[in-house]
Amino acid sequence: MKQHEVTSADAANSGEVPFPQPGLVSNSDPKAISSLIGARRNSRGRDWERLWERFGIGTLLLICWLIAALTLPNFAQFDNINSILRQSSFIGISAVGMTLAIIAGNFDLSVGSTLGLCAWVGVLVASHAGVVPAILAALLCGIMVGAINGVLISIIRIPAFIATLGMLFVVQGFTFVITNGETARYNGADFVVLGNGDLLGVPIPFVIFVVCALIGVCILSYTPLGRYIFAIGSNKETALVVGVPIRLTIFSVFILVSLFTALAAFLLGARLYSAGAGLEPGFELNVIATVVLGGTRLAGGRGSMLGTIAAAILFATIGNVLNLIHTDAFVQRLAIGVVLLLALSIEGLRQRLAERLSHN
Amino acid sequence: MQIKVNSNTLARLLAAAWQSYRLGFLVALVGLLLTLLTPHFLTIDNLSNVLTNVSLVAIVGLGMTLAIASGNFDLSVGSTAALAGCISMSLIVNNDWSVPPAILVGLVSGALIGLGNGLIITELRVPAFIATLATMTILRGVALIYTNGRDIYLSGKTDYKFLSGGRLLGIPVPIVLMLALTIILILVVKQTRFGRQVLAVGSNKAAARRSGVRVSLVVWGVFAIVGVTAALYGMIISSQVLTANGRLDTGLELSAIAVVVLGGTPLSGGQINLIGTLLGSLLIETINNGLNLLNISSFYQQLTVGLLLLIALTLEVSRGYDLKNLLKVEKTSNEAA
Repeated sequence: MKQHEVTSADAANSGEVPFPQPGLVSNSDPKAISSLIGARRNSRGRDWERLWERFGIGTLLLICWLIAALTLPNFAQFDNINSILRQSSFIGISAVGMTLAIIAGNFDLSVGSTLGLCAWVGVLVASHAGVVPAILAALLCGIMVGAINGVLISIIRIPAFIATLGMLFVVQGFTFVITNGETARYNGADFVVLGNGDLLGVPIPFVIFVVCALIGVCILSYTPLGRYIFAIGSNKETALVVGVPIRLTIFSVFILVSLFTALAAFLLGARLYSAGAGLEPGFELNVIATVVLGGTRLAGGRGSMLGTIAAAILFATIGNVLNLIHTDAFVQRLAIGVVLLLALSIEGLRQRLAERLSHN
Repeated sequence: MQIKVNSNTLARLLAAAWQSYRLGFLVALVGLLLTLLTPHFLTIDNLSNVLTNVSLVAIVGLGMTLAIASGNFDLSVGSTAALAGCISMSLIVNNDWSVPPAILVGLVSGALIGLGNGLIITELRVPAFIATLATMTILRGVALIYTNGRDIYLSGKTDYKFLSGGRLLGIPVPIVLMLALTIILILVVKQTRFGRQVLAVGSNKAAARRSGVRVSLVVWGVFAIVGVTAALYGMIISSQVLTANGRLDTGLELSAIAVVVLGGTPLSGGQINLIGTLLGSLLIETINNGLNLLNISSFYQQLTVGLLLLIALTLEVSRGYDLKNLLKVEKTSNEAA
């Protein structure tokens, strides 16, 4: 204690500004945070970058739809668009949560396993106790997985990548053990309609996807949690200094990711009438690909929910178009990879071009 | 007072020994436990079986260790392995090639794929994680298209089986390959300029570039090596089951990363622990073998891998924190006294 006083007195004598203490700036002062994170050069390149980040993928989606509608007679049919939107919802709902995690500079690799577990729980409970308990059970499962992730990351402080990688194996193994490798099945009409039905002509999963995305937008733009997420993702040290509750924020983010994934899982179970461990292998990487394609930066601090929605629909559109022109299912994987690569290399190519121009 | 110092030194020695050899201790512990639990564990056949499985995981793990030490990831190893396995197998089955050139072509295709990954990362400036995520789906698609989604069976030529079932000087070939790869990579890391540059790029890319390291060349080299190890893995697996298809080795990428992390190579880059990767694979495979011998459902295997990873890292993290805090408290209380 005495030691501490001496050093701060020394600092004051020598005219140095003492390092700000945590909590010095009010938590709830958004201006303090945004002035710290928003200090950015406002050059033309940055503008272009931001524009691409916001609207690039949406524009790409519109162009895709336009070309498909003009060249394929079956594309612009009500049923076809309906099926694209339905198909985009499951990855999309999970990607809403993942967007929050990636903006905060984290990953969740456990979503694929969580999907399998929650879908199984949803189908099983629906077949025994009805739809409402099933939704609650699936969401509760999601919250539990999210809470374990949160404890591992924000209390034990294992890096998120490794913690959720471990959880990927643990949850998948756990699901295999409790299901004994068998799938649960249920095709009651009240349950199946949630995955396959329409509400005023719009697929129910897509309605829920849109609601989830709106919740995501609200969290990011209008709540302290959203500001904290951006602050932590752009600079963790600065966030700590201005008094952002880092551990609590990260904990909440991982709960949210698993919660959204659990909802996607429930709907997917309802869509397929059945679920078990090993549902949708590689789901986690597809979700991350969707978020990244949507313009959210992998390093954290920047990203957009609208981009994520557009990217989820774009992936579903690519699959649909390739189906319509009767290509192999294998070509779809190829095409999705190529689109991802092209969309993401545009920024790098622009940078190189700008450098070359400035050299000349 | 004297006793206290002694116990302190002893505790520190133990802590230091644990820190350096904890995976070794764990492997020994699991081995001892299994020897006591089942008579089938400590037999030459079983141990050689365990080591063969270890060598498979370790071969990809070693390549991945290099990638992670250079501050990168390679998520495309599973797809690369599948594609290389399909290419070499199809050359033998459909084009009647003899085995050695087919294997060579498989390895070269692995290297080229790795080089492609490297080019995407350095020339298009896509972060390694996303670049290899994209090539993962692309290569998987290519492998499926190449094989038309069908299996390629090998029946006639059994030379190819040598890759997984043969023996050199009485040692199974995969184990020989793993040991050779380990020695080569350790020599590369410790003795060559390239090895030092890999670690330099991993710890601070900008600093490495400013001190004259050609970062692009290093990244290409690293990814080419990872591609070769992945191709080797794919060919050994396909020779083991005498079948190749585009669905081979899904999920390999995350298992390989798990082994590397368990082995103590930090994800932040700049540090490398190749022996740790070997021990990590040894630990996982020994436990899997134990579960098999004890007739426990294979469903528990993933659960163990995950729990092991989490426990190892919890210990790692909490050790760092608690020891420091404990020492601090002790010092101040000593001063007070």
